[in-house]
Amino acid sequence: MGQGSSCWGCFQSLVDIHLHLAEVLPALEIKYWQAVADYKLHHLESYPDKSIAVGLYEGMARTEEDIHLLKVMRAKCQTLIAFGSCSCFGGIPGLANFSDIEECYDVKFRENATVSGGQVPSENLPGIAPVVKPNNSFVDFEIYLPGCPPTSKLILTAVSKLLAGEPIELPPHTVCHYCNREKKETPIEKILRPYQGIADPDRCLLEQGYICVGSATWGLCEGQCVNKGATCRGCFGPPPPIMQDHGANSMGMLGTYAPLPPEEIKEQVKDPLGLFYRFDYATSNLGEIRIKREEVKHQ
Amino acid sequence: MTEEKTIRVDPVTRLEGHGSLTLKLGTDGKVKDVQFNVNSTRFFEKFLEGRPMEEAPRIAPRICGICPIPHHLASVKAVEAAWDITPPRAAVKLRRLMIEAKQLSSHAIHFYALAAPDFVFGPFADPSVRNVAAVLKYLPDVAVQAIKLMEFGQELIKTVGAKAIHPTTAIPGGQLCSMSEEDRDLWLGKVPEMLENIHKTVDLAKKVVTDYIDVVTKVAVTPTYYIGLANKGVLDIYEGTARVMDPDGKIVADFEAKDYRKYYGEHIPKHSYATHIYYKPAGYPEGIWRANTLARCNVADKMATPLADAALKEMRELVGRPSHHTFAYHYARIVEMVQAAEWIKTLLEDPEIVSKDVKLADVEPKAGEGVGLVEAPRGILLHNYTSDEKGMLTKANLIVATNNNIAGIEKSLMVAAKQVFEEKAHESLKLPDPLVKT
Repeated sequence: MGQGSSCWGCFQSLVDIHLHLAEVLPALEIKYWQAVADYKLHHLESYPDKSIAVGLYEGMARTEEDIHLLKVMRAKCQTLIAFGSCSCFGGIPGLANFSDIEECYDVKFRENATVSGGQVPSENLPGIAPVVKPNNSFVDFEIYLPGCPPTSKLILTAVSKLLAGEPIELPPHTVCHYCNREKKETPIEKILRPYQGIADPDRCLLEQGYICVGSATWGLCEGQCVNKGATCRGCFGPPPPIMQDHGANSMGMLGTYAPLPPEEIKEQVKDPLGLFYRFDYATSNLGEIRIKREEVKHQ
Repeated sequence: MTEEKTIRVDPVTRLEGHGSLTLKLGTDGKVKDVQFNVNSTRFFEKFLEGRPMEEAPRIAPRICGICPIPHHLASVKAVEAAWDITPPRAAVKLRRLMIEAKQLSSHAIHFYALAAPDFVFGPFADPSVRNVAAVLKYLPDVAVQAIKLMEFGQELIKTVGAKAIHPTTAIPGGQLCSMSEEDRDLWLGKVPEMLENIHKTVDLAKKVVTDYIDVVTKVAVTPTYYIGLANKGVLDIYEGTARVMDPDGKIVADFEAKDYRKYYGEHIPKHSYATHIYYKPAGYPEGIWRANTLARCNVADKMATPLADAALKEMRELVGRPSHHTFAYHYARIVEMVQAAEWIKTLLEDPEIVSKDVKLADVEPKAGEGVGLVEAPRGILLHNYTSDEKGMLTKANLIVATNNNIAGIEKSLMVAAKQVFEEKAHESLKLPDPLVKT
């Protein structure tokens, strides 16, 4: 398993298969997994090409080291899995593409509440690319396992199938399929922010005015948030075909549910980019334009 | 005379996060420089700007997938402080239940999966066995008790937070979901087995500490400042004031979250994307502090719960207060696990935990600044946001748990490197026979 720039939540989700670890771990011969075993990068680099049956790559790849690790993993593994939404779509770290990297450096190293006049660190460190590019722009993957993180159940299903040499077949439904709330097919009168009022626990959150992108999102989560009162923010990305434009679909979905004048929608939806493209800005059509712009700017 | 030499450890393994070590030895064989290179950053402070404040608790957890709950809660506390909101009491109890459950599972994964392989197989075992998969193979009973503790913590978080990793139920004004009586009863039913596994863990930890006492008391003993949250002097991970202890063991500051800028210094190193946080009044590097388990146990006068307090007293008899023993972090981790377990039991037994009154109906944004302070498993965690009058986030400053430790880690690495390369101290250490020989 390789880990690029990520939170390690996908790793934690794998650990959360709990007692199934007792079946899964002994069935693996671990070749590289920095969270678990003490193999170094030079070990991984020394293995023959395609000598590892399955590799998982968690996180996005923005540093030179991330990109190098991703390419080494590709070279060594017969099957490479984009593990989690960062690896599939750029994920939440892809939101950094809203800003020029110099503006990011400003806030992080140069001027903030507890920082003043710092310089960007560079000694014995890999360079950071000006923009987050999707992992599949560097290498090809055989399998995409989205989710922030992928659920433990999904991981266990995938790993069990791989160990048995069988194809991974996943249900294509959206989050709504798993949501226990009732839809009455009534239009939204006013868009609400999630903290406003007390939501009816039995009715569709979107129909109550709370923006929920569940109807445009792959339901591999089985509706865990919506069934506990929290609106979907789209962390599993779009249903198959997996590289369709999730953000555009989510906005289209809102348009059908909220037949309001465009000015009202514009006023009431405070942050369309950060809401509809939260997990997949880097692989969206809009995000692609931004990537090109930043790349040209920083050439 | 030998040549100058650079040793690179890449990556540092069996931890959570990205890091490498660079160690420089001079021609005289002396350690010239030790660098802990944290080699990635993702710019959360920048891209939180422009988001609605209430979305921050849904974005910020992605800073860390091992400790997303403290981020979720520090974030929601910062928003509530900025908007001047007090959530209902039952919501605070649910949040505490989540963070204590996280403390339990995180400490379990750290002790059993990250650290234990060194002690079980010995520090010189081959990488193919010095890992958690081998613990499962050779010591299945120990592994099962570890997995059950992790499972308890993670699944309890899921009950309250919707997801064990990156929870979604805390919102400015309270919680989006109350706990059902059925769920409460189910979890209460699991408490006795969990406590039994905690007792077994304590016994195992004591054995490890006793077996490796030479390592604990001699390797990388590094005096620093310490910072941790305490509630009127009692160790607390959800609410209280930040206490700072100097290397001599004197409490030199005890302050509210909102006043942090007077005490927190942030140094930008040339060789790490993670910055170095220190005690500002003492300056850098003199004021380098450490956070995390041992720091909390150092700054607190006592633990909040009886069994944990007894465990703390026992620990102090062995390593004193303050303890500068880097390896005593493991011991302190176990003391804190006991407190988390006892807190969970107390909260589940509290009738208010199933109250339906968990969210304010009337929440209004306002312009202002808020600081949220909690303890993550690996140290004190601070989110500082500025809101405009519409409730949009205009500025964020995040000082996450590990940033408080980076400089301290480097300092203790320097001590250890000198011991190994200059004094060859590791050759005379008394090491026990590995628990498992492979």
